[in-house]
Amino acid sequence: MGALRWGVGSVATVAVYAALFLYAEAQSVVIGLLVGAVVAMVMASRFDVLARVGESFARHERALDRLTFAACIAVAALFHDQHFVLLMLATVLLYFVACIGLNLQFGHTGVVNFAGAAFFGVGAYAAAVLSQHTPVPHLAIIVIAGAVAAVIGSVLIIPVLRTRGHYAAMVTIAFGVLFKTFLEVNDTLGGPQGLKLPGMSVFGIPFNANIALSDDAEISFYMHYVVLALLLAAGAYSLSRRIERSWIGLNLDAVRLDETACATFGIDVARWKIVAYTIGNALCGIAGAVYAMMTGFIAPNNFTFGDSLIMVSIILLGGVGNPRGVMIAAAVVLLLPEKLQMIQEYRFLLYAVLVMAVLLFRPEGLLPRRLRAYFPGGTS
Amino acid sequence: MDIGLAGQYVLNGLMLGIIYAMVAVGFTLFFGVLDIIKFSHGDVLTVGAFTALAAYAGVTALGLQSPWLILGVIALAAIAGTAVLGALIARFLIMPMRGAPPINVLLLTLMLGTALRESVRLFYPNGSNPKMFPRLLPGGAANFGRFTLRYDSVLIFVAGVAVIVGVSLLINRSKLGLAIRAVAQDAETARVMGIDLEAVVLFTFALGSALAALAGVMNGMYYSEINFNMGLLLGLIGFSAAIIGGLGNIYGAILGGFLFAALQTIGAVLLPVSSAYKDVFAFAAVIVLMAWRPTGLIAEKSSERV
Amino acid sequence: MTAPLLVCRGLTMRFGGLTALDALDLDVLPGEILGLIGPNGSGKTTFFNVVTGVYAATAGSAVFAGADLTRLTAQAIYRAGITRTFQRSRLALPLSIFDNLMIGNHRRLDHGLAFNLFRRVALKAQYESAVDEARTLLATFSVPLATRLFEPASAVTMIDRRRIEICRALISRPKLLLLDEPSAGMTHEETRELMDDILLVRGRMPGLGIILIEHEMNVIERVTDRCAVFNYGKRIAAGTYAEVAADRDVQQAYLGQE
Ligand SMILES: Nc1ncnc2c1ncn2[C@@H]1O[C@H](COP(=O)(O)OP(=O)(O)O)[C@@H](O)[C@H]1O
Ligand SMILES: [Mg+2]
Repeated sequence: MGALRWGVGSVATVAVYAALFLYAEAQSVVIGLLVGAVVAMVMASRFDVLARVGESFARHERALDRLTFAACIAVAALFHDQHFVLLMLATVLLYFVACIGLNLQFGHTGVVNFAGAAFFGVGAYAAAVLSQHTPVPHLAIIVIAGAVAAVIGSVLIIPVLRTRGHYAAMVTIAFGVLFKTFLEVNDTLGGPQGLKLPGMSVFGIPFNANIALSDDAEISFYMHYVVLALLLAAGAYSLSRRIERSWIGLNLDAVRLDETACATFGIDVARWKIVAYTIGNALCGIAGAVYAMMTGFIAPNNFTFGDSLIMVSIILLGGVGNPRGVMIAAAVVLLLPEKLQMIQEYRFLLYAVLVMAVLLFRPEGLLPRRLRAYFPGGTS
Repeated sequence: MDIGLAGQYVLNGLMLGIIYAMVAVGFTLFFGVLDIIKFSHGDVLTVGAFTALAAYAGVTALGLQSPWLILGVIALAAIAGTAVLGALIARFLIMPMRGAPPINVLLLTLMLGTALRESVRLFYPNGSNPKMFPRLLPGGAANFGRFTLRYDSVLIFVAGVAVIVGVSLLINRSKLGLAIRAVAQDAETARVMGIDLEAVVLFTFALGSALAALAGVMNGMYYSEINFNMGLLLGLIGFSAAIIGGLGNIYGAILGGFLFAALQTIGAVLLPVSSAYKDVFAFAAVIVLMAWRPTGLIAEKSSERV
Repeated sequence: MTAPLLVCRGLTMRFGGLTALDALDLDVLPGEILGLIGPNGSGKTTFFNVVTGVYAATAGSAVFAGADLTRLTAQAIYRAGITRTFQRSRLALPLSIFDNLMIGNHRRLDHGLAFNLFRRVALKAQYESAVDEARTLLATFSVPLATRLFEPASAVTMIDRRRIEICRALISRPKLLLLDEPSAGMTHEETRELMDDILLVRGRMPGLGIILIEHEMNVIERVTDRCAVFNYGKRIAAGTYAEVAADRDVQQAYLGQE
């Protein structure tokens, strides 16, 4: 059990599959690939492959994490001259960063946040204003945008802390609606038309220029953003893992599972909710800032309640509290409608129904979280 | 401010208040019997309004002429359709979730709301565009200076008040209402005492949903327009109203509905340059209220037993 | 004569019109096991809830280590050295047994952000000694259970869950331990074993005071040094088991109930 080859095999399979999926154009091919994936998953769980893969990941986590990182680079390299594919990859990675943040809040601490897209939007608008009106370096803008989202979140935390469950849900939903309405009516922030942003430029490297390889070969400029997003994703993943596998992660779980009991063991419920809420919103803001500078244009319609629900769906489908599940779910949820044109229009409906099915029949998510191993595989 | 204009604001606030109160009462009823938040409530309202619209197309195709008759038929259609929908939702989606964490029920109904909203948008003919809602009430108005009193508004308001009074009489005076209150107090004890829990829950959901449908129809008649998205905001407002009033309490919900309308009206008056900020103002005020009084103005049932 | 560990004077808790604790006076001495008995609904659990800061007392004081507990948060009361078990088990069932014990060990772990996120080597040392300690403590109660440290708490029997809950309360080496019907649902033999284990652990923690809520009179007789009897939120008797059992009010309270 727990052999490394199962993990390596699964990462390789997923990478190859992702490449094929991104490469496929004809709708029939896309559908064929999807059917193939479903059949493969059913077979895999029939023949215990999933359990072995899970075991392998638990034992050789470090090596497999690095392999996953390398696989992402490999897939991006394969599509190095295709703007649209790279844009999609970077978007998936940025959504992953935001969802890791929401997962810390909801999956670990049990603090609901139905304004994920709004905090993503706070970061995006902060980046837009700063990059248009100030000479702040773009990397610093990303950090500031995260901080702005965290600060705005800390205003909301007061009612969220004083309330539980449905009340907190109401507060964040109200904030999400308030935020979008505010953007729509505020002319200095561009109103419904939104704002334009310049491309990023880091250490003198202009992110919005293609990279010439030779006279007739170029790397799409989106590769810059893919690399940046991948680094952010790796950072968010590692942060989330370190939090989970420490006393902090334990405190967050304790707060989620029983506030009364954990208070009688000295756990400061408010403190850990604030920690999770702040880190989570900062991650949303950071992701939003990079997203804004990447797309070069943002509008209130990018940050609706529906988008917040998509983020929540990603977490619920992936497996509450499980960052690897969140990664896969982010990819599926975001790429599926892009590749399968016929469901583009139906995507909100489709995901809503899927999440309902998961909640009714498999509430721990498709890839449930494992028990905490503070130092998995015996290494630190 | 001019008296007439002030009157106009007050009248508009009262109209909105009665509609919000009807939605909020649904939230409070569901919370009472099952301790859950049914976030799809707003979208059930949308379904109700569109059912009425579809029924209107049907009856006019049949050649029905009398506006009162048409109104009766489409209101009945909306009530019946959503009552059944509400009972089905309770039976097949919410009852099976008993014992699950409350947040899962909230998530489930949030997703159900999305599914309903999207279904209306995708499957109602030309559903993504706003729809004209027929004017069925007598037109005309009385003018007092700058203050215009539309007769149809008066009728809508009176109908709303009648419905709310009817529902609270039903809850407080009838045997069925007694059963609902017993279940709200303590579901286990109520069951031991021979109350059919499932029947009470289904009836409550049918009742709350029918109320939402009526609110949707009234909203449509007031603005002469409906769209697939209307339930999202109305649901959120109804939810806010139920919460600021104090969940589980019918009078709290009614109070909350009018309070929210008052906040919006105040927002519109205070920020006359761009009254578009009125919702921003109202929701910001709700968030502040929640920070001040976390369980609402009329406190929620009891403290947690340890 | 040693100074009492806990001194309650006029402790009162009202829920609306219902007075669950009625001007209660009670002392607990260091190192003693105090039995708390009384009919259902007489306020025993409420007493624990007030002392541990779950409920805020309506009136009165409960002085422990020089501080009035009625003014402290639940967290501060735990830090001062009072832990408890719950009448209805409140373990974090999806977490491992080890995690549950570490929730109880909160006071002795380092919760700094920088320590937890960046000083993984130091964290590991703390973790490893915590694992040893948890295993040893658990083994006192049940050797097979100690081998299942990294299984979910939901995977073990009700009786083992009670043992875990007691260990969760003990692992931080409290000065006062509150046990709310720890033997509920156990057979006589299991109850006996559990009580012997508790006595064993107490032997290792000199000065540990224990308040035990228990319905089995022979258990009370065997393990407690003193008992207090509650009825309708009032303490109607206190003293050794023999004294209390002979008390007319106590007999009436129990006869009146049964
Ligand atoms: N949170 C609460 N709200 C209202 N009443 C309560 C609460 N907790 C306990 N009570 C009441 O206080 C009284 C004492 O209860 P409790 O302390 O649990 O009794 P015991 O543990 O002795 O059986 C009971 O009448 C109970 O119903
Ligand atoms: Mg008790």
